[in-house]
Amino acid sequence: MDQFLQHLLNALMLGGTYALLGIGLTLIFGIMRVVNFTHGELYAFGAYMMYALVMRTGVNFFVALVLAIALGALLGAALEFVLLRRLRGADIDTTMLVMIGAWIALQNTEQLVWTGVAKSIDNPFPAAPLVIGAVSVGWNRVFVFVVALLLIGITYFLIQKTKLGKAMRATFQDRDTAALMGVQIGSIHTATFALGSALAAAAGALLGPVFVAYPSMGDMAAAKAFAIVILGGLGSIPGATLGGFILALAEELGAGYISSGYRDAMSFLLIIAILVFKPTGLFAQKERIG
Amino acid sequence: MNRTLAAIFVTAALASGPVLAQDAIKIGVTQPLTGAFAASGNYVTEGAKLAEAAINASGGVLGRKIQLIIEDNKSNPTEAVATAEKLISKDKVPVMLGAWSSSLTLAVMPKLMEYGVPMLVETSSSGKITVSGNPWIFRISPTSEMEAKAFAGYVKTLGIKKADFLATNNDFGLGASKEFAEMLKANGAQIGVVETMDPKATDFSAQLAKIKASGGDTLFVTTAVEQATLILKQAKEQQVTARIITTGGSVSPDQLIQQAGDAANGSRHVVFFTPWFPEAVKNPDVAKKFVAAWNAKGLPAGGLTEGFRGWDGLYTIVEGIKLAGKAEPAAIQKALWDVKVKGVNGDIAFIKQGPAGQESAQNVPSVYVVRIDGGKVVKN
Amino acid sequence: MKAAFTIAGLVVLATLPWWLDNPYILHVLIVTGIFIIAAISLNLLLGYAGQLSLGHVAFFGIGAYASSLVSLGFDISLLTLKPKPVWMAMLAGIAAAGLCGWLIGRIAFKVRGAYFVIVSISFVEVVRLVAVNWVELTQGPMALNNIPPLSLLGISFLKKPSNYWLVLTVAVISYVLVKRLVQSKAGRAMVALAENEPLARSVGVDVTRTLVLATVVSAAMAGAAGALYAHYIRIVDPDVFLFIYTVTMVIMVVTGGKGTLAGPIIGGLIFGLLPEGLRAFSIKPEIQWIIYGVLMLAVVYFLPAGIVPALKRRLRWLS
Repeated sequence: MDQFLQHLLNALMLGGTYALLGIGLTLIFGIMRVVNFTHGELYAFGAYMMYALVMRTGVNFFVALVLAIALGALLGAALEFVLLRRLRGADIDTTMLVMIGAWIALQNTEQLVWTGVAKSIDNPFPAAPLVIGAVSVGWNRVFVFVVALLLIGITYFLIQKTKLGKAMRATFQDRDTAALMGVQIGSIHTATFALGSALAAAAGALLGPVFVAYPSMGDMAAAKAFAIVILGGLGSIPGATLGGFILALAEELGAGYISSGYRDAMSFLLIIAILVFKPTGLFAQKERIG
Repeated sequence: MNRTLAAIFVTAALASGPVLAQDAIKIGVTQPLTGAFAASGNYVTEGAKLAEAAINASGGVLGRKIQLIIEDNKSNPTEAVATAEKLISKDKVPVMLGAWSSSLTLAVMPKLMEYGVPMLVETSSSGKITVSGNPWIFRISPTSEMEAKAFAGYVKTLGIKKADFLATNNDFGLGASKEFAEMLKANGAQIGVVETMDPKATDFSAQLAKIKASGGDTLFVTTAVEQATLILKQAKEQQVTARIITTGGSVSPDQLIQQAGDAANGSRHVVFFTPWFPEAVKNPDVAKKFVAAWNAKGLPAGGLTEGFRGWDGLYTIVEGIKLAGKAEPAAIQKALWDVKVKGVNGDIAFIKQGPAGQESAQNVPSVYVVRIDGGKVVKN
Repeated sequence: MKAAFTIAGLVVLATLPWWLDNPYILHVLIVTGIFIIAAISLNLLLGYAGQLSLGHVAFFGIGAYASSLVSLGFDISLLTLKPKPVWMAMLAGIAAAGLCGWLIGRIAFKVRGAYFVIVSISFVEVVRLVAVNWVELTQGPMALNNIPPLSLLGISFLKKPSNYWLVLTVAVISYVLVKRLVQSKAGRAMVALAENEPLARSVGVDVTRTLVLATVVSAAMAGAAGALYAHYIRIVDPDVFLFIYTVTMVIMVVTGGKGTLAGPIIGGLIFGLLPEGLRAFSIKPEIQWIIYGVLMLAVVYFLPAGIVPALKRRLRWLS
């Protein structure tokens, strides 16, 4: 029983960041129709920015967190502006290949700059864990969880309540009509990619100090983000949020009670199962092909 | 040809081919410089480069300088084969050093047979390498089996009654947990759960929850230092009380102290080199010389326990060339059987393993266990 | 004129081992040739049937594993198999890959576009994790080694020249096969499907059947490439399923020109030889990768249809 409770708690903590990763990816796909292979690199970028700011320049941890997210947004905007802007309207395969090329270049730039040796990042939280009965969790993870929920909340607000969000939703539903109604599709795309990238960088900046930063850290993160997005349905933010928690739970229980060797297979098995039985994902409303 | 291009080629040719270098004896190095094993591969390469400089400073071998030709095998077996092919048939190296992980080494092995070139294996731990009947293999690193055997004496001292395992899901991790489990059983200890993790994974909360529930007194961890750091931290968060022992010799205690902080205290580590007390190793002079060279170049202390493999490997190769009296593959292969090298790890010499007539060479390295206590490495 | 070029090209290729005495270059050509076969097979799916599969290396890997296992024999609790001759093993590898292609085709073509891409990536990952974790059969990460080279009619394919000719022969067969297929009725249905699915459906093209056929042929061919790879490199481990191999195949097809017969060959030669070319300059390995990534970007940007169509246009413009 204690083991089960511990698994549940772990899944809850992990799920927050998974959701963050998934939302960023699903936004970009939903609005821009781009399968973003650089998503994992933005995650790694967030973690490395924390390292640079906290460990190399001595910036306060919380200030560094805000800066890392902002820099992530900036890098995302730059990527969109340089690589994707001129490809708008190109088919999904073309943009995907561009993103794969960018992914390879970015990851190796990270290794060039930071070397292959993993970097650890200090955090200001007490080392002793929070103990609740028989289960326990590190304070740094509690912090990550709270901030992740906060960021998810902010994203909802942005999409649902602001003018920018309205324009984004309009673009998502029907790009051509939105353009006719005076929505600047170009700026919306840049904003979307920046927002999605900021969320990925936030996940990295939050988890970097919990784990370590290393050049290929983004690969696993990207794989999970893909699974979450498929699970929730491409383009669905509530789907991605729930998908994050479901994946975390599946991994925890799968590793705890089936086999830990297949822990990281859970995400892919889920993808295949979903696509066989409910190809649109659990939460997407309208059927989408392409 | 375009004139600037021609100029570049001429400059490149001049830069890479001074008169001396043509005389140098080439030694091929294939290591993972990018990809999953990049951190360790770069350390081993640095160790080999330091040895190259030291050997050349003291006059080289057979009156000639040595020159390393370093190739990146990208942590990928196909690339490892390509590097071997390039080093042997393009650069014409008479001997190689490589290829870090067991799967990379196994991939290269058929090429050694095909061309008849010896390779000194510095890190790989899979038992398969030396028993498959490849007479061109000379390994200085211990197999998992040797490591487990060397550890047997500690089972009683530490009072291990029930052990759990957490190993990375590759030849290295699985091999070590199998050999250690057998050794522990033979010494009367009980085996709890054997958990695995993807080599890229960073979150082990699920595995640790299961290990905690299993309730062994000792947890054996086999992986690279990055994952070991995280395991120590996360074990503390989840209040896993078992004593943690890392195996494989690739977990640098210095890096653990630096990166895991408090969580590293109380953990024990199987290492093949103890830079913290060089006087305690078999060849203190050699160890001190290596550590001094490492520090002089400003390399991180955390890399010492990897870097020494490159140093020892190259010294062993050069001793082989010296005994052979000429830089030819078959002669070096023959001579390597007779080398006696004072290495950082200990005295290096080879014994026969594998099918008769086709034996591979295996060194019996020294194995040490150290403990981290109060942020310092102490003898166990 | 065109036939003369083809024959001249083939003669040059076939006689290469005689006037090229550098075994390293021959090795690079063999490996490149194997990947060109894989790229030709991918072109059928990606270029002609219009389905971007990022899981193609799964078939390559399955072919490699199946062929190695049959040639080495295995002994698991359900089944024991004595080692079989390598040619038989290779056929088994091709069949296994084709069968998987059929299975995956039935499942994956329920979805299109981005969903299909992601399901294809997931398929590889699941196969890779099975290869890692089913240690009893695959030896997991410990790898299958000592895989025997092919020997047929008393010739042992241990040395490079014989392997080179073998790969060249299989490549020519694959090329001809794809050429015949795309010119057949089924092939025209594929192309129609890629161009406009609803329209193709309305004129009576059986979509699922056509796509499954393309996948089976493509998968079997990739399986053949994998089998060649296994018996040439002589070690197979779960790393054959690395995503970067898929990326290599895709980039070969796209650079050369998807949906053209010569595309995968031109693209394959460029991206197969490029890493070795970059190796010759002593630049840092990370920078080599960055160049690789940037080149990939540049190709998509400046030659979106690929090199072969661009060349054709240039030729037409000249005359």
